Amino acid sequence: MAPIADEDRWQRLIEECFQREAGSQASLPSSSQNLIETGVLDSMGWVGFLRALESASGVSDLGALLTEQTPSFESIFRAFKNARSVRSSGTGPSSKQEPVTQSAVIIASSSAALGSRRIPSEQVDRAFGMPAGKLRLRAGIESLAYAAEDENELTLGAGAAQRALRAAACGPEELDWIIATTETQRGYPSLAAQLHSQLLPRENCGALDVGGACLGLVNALAVAQGLIALGQARTIAVITSDVHSRTFKPGVVAGEFGGLFGDGASAFLLRAKNGVAPQPTYGLGEFFFGCAGQYAGAIRVADVPNGNIEVHFDGEALSRAAITRLENVIRDIELRSGIARSSLQGLATHQPNPRLVTLLAKQCGLPLGKFPVVARQFGNLGSSTCGVALDAILQSTSSRQADKCGPIFMASLGPGLLFGGGWLVPA
Amino acid sequence: MNKLLITEITRMGPAFCVIGLHRENGKIRSVRPVTSTANSWLHFPYHRGDVVQCELAPFCGAKPHIEDRVSTRGFQKESAVPEPEVVAFLRKAEIAGSLPDLFGCALHENRNGTGLHATPLEPMRSICGTETKNLRLELCANELRATLVLSSGEVLRDLPVVDRDWRDFIDSALAEGKGANRVGRLQRFLNSQFHYKILSCPHHFIRLGLTRPYHDLCWLMLDTLFPLPKQEWLEEL
Repeated sequence: MAPIADEDRWQRLIEECFQREAGSQASLPSSSQNLIETGVLDSMGWVGFLRALESASGVSDLGALLTEQTPSFESIFRAFKNARSVRSSGTGPSSKQEPVTQSAVIIASSSAALGSRRIPSEQVDRAFGMPAGKLRLRAGIESLAYAAEDENELTLGAGAAQRALRAAACGPEELDWIIATTETQRGYPSLAAQLHSQLLPRENCGALDVGGACLGLVNALAVAQGLIALGQARTIAVITSDVHSRTFKPGVVAGEFGGLFGDGASAFLLRAKNGVAPQPTYGLGEFFFGCAGQYAGAIRVADVPNGNIEVHFDGEALSRAAITRLENVIRDIELRSGIARSSLQGLATHQPNPRLVTLLAKQCGLPLGKFPVVARQFGNLGSSTCGVALDAILQSTSSRQADKCGPIFMASLGPGLLFGGGWLVPA
Repeated sequence: MNKLLITEITRMGPAFCVIGLHRENGKIRSVRPVTSTANSWLHFPYHRGDVVQCELAPFCGAKPHIEDRVSTRGFQKESAVPEPEVVAFLRKAEIAGSLPDLFGCALHENRNGTGLHATPLEPMRSICGTETKNLRLELCANELRATLVLSSGEVLRDLPVVDRDWRDFIDSALAEGKGANRVGRLQRFLNSQFHYKILSCPHHFIRLGLTRPYHDLCWLMLDTLFPLPKQEWLEEL
């Protein structure tokens, strides 16, 4: 039985939303009165009334709960009482969902999308006016994934997200949040807003953009985990998407920098773990972050007045800092989680270029095979590098039993020098 | 005699509204046959894709329902064309890719963000086809509603679905004989499998229409959704 105070709030909310739809002069109908049959509201008004109630109460599936019910105040009262997916609202009748522990947040599915054009690195060398073979010899890049003419951050991100939703048999209307991250789309509406319009979740599904450049995915996963753990959400799509080939192009930036980048996207569907998880799946562990400002000068990208971008890129300093910091993050994850790196399924790390991945593997004493091949074949994908790597590890475990899957470490960096990491364990 | 390809049959309360295509001066245009006493039909035994012979008065209806033509004699079925071919014809008729182009006027969102409407004298027509980038159907308290993304990226939320075949499909899915938890199963179908069946279909196409003025507003509705629902989908629910 709900507390009386709740029922009072529901009553007030129903009356306010009704008068918003029917007009402030409209008299209130009796509790059991059929609002449509008696002509109090037409079908447009009835749906409008329910949408207003959903929005004000946080009970996002009120309309669904009222299917096959008489359109009346009484039915709405009953639906509020039965509401299963109650979202938090300061003014509404709902109470918060039961908070869940952080480890009870799982990745229900994942997907990746890459720019559909594969460009040999020698062709990129020539486009940037560098000697053919430079990217392959100096950075280890064999080819790059470039977006085709009809591809952009939105199409790649939406494609990855739709596949992830499908893999989890999850419809867009189950989403409570879309959290997007990109380092290449700078216009508005932001990527999260555009993805919202493309994926068609409910209107009261939030759309949030998270920064951090190459650290963006780790930031976004941590935010999503927090929202679910606090009971503010049950299902969240985390999406990365980066199309560098239209920004870091010949004539705008130097080839030693611009030639490293490719285009891609990734998507992850996060859910609160309820009961037995579909096998196999991974639960999120803890995340931690920091900013090593002493390396901030190693990479700076800024808009300049003529519409171009100015890049300051101290490759050597950045490489040294990247290796040191990534190794530190991996060591810290090991300490915090108590998981030995030798037991890992794989590492989804930032991959500035393939040479640095080889070096990092060596420094960490890990076989190179633990790091999925991303940068060597597709280039540095920005915030999507970690995403494509994580998706590759998750896909490789999809046909295994949970007890045959090892934990996953995530570690990444962003300009600043931002760093962050975390771990995932089979759930 | 006029030759009419029946492209739309919509359910409006207890009656049906019928729209077809005919060729006029080399162009394919939409026509809405109406009786001399009403805008809709209480009984309409024909189906989409039927080609019928009929006698239509040459006078257009009042704005925005300029497609209205009074039918002066009964229909006679001549032949039928398959669904993809109906869509091919619809793509040659009135079509637009953005919100203002749909009816040649501004469309306004309802204050709660549910549904869109036009002011009666502003629209240039009352029916228009469009391609969609995405589409979602939802059952909201017994009302079937569609949310869709136009090729321009504009989102239209909570449009009432009046397509007879789709409404019949929903009714069949919710029929008592369909067993327990019908609403939940239908919602899961609409929320997942529906999306892939519809959007992956090469002849996916929709037509939007405007209602007759009601409280000085003409509401936007989803008249037709291709592909039409298949009987076997009911078994998947």
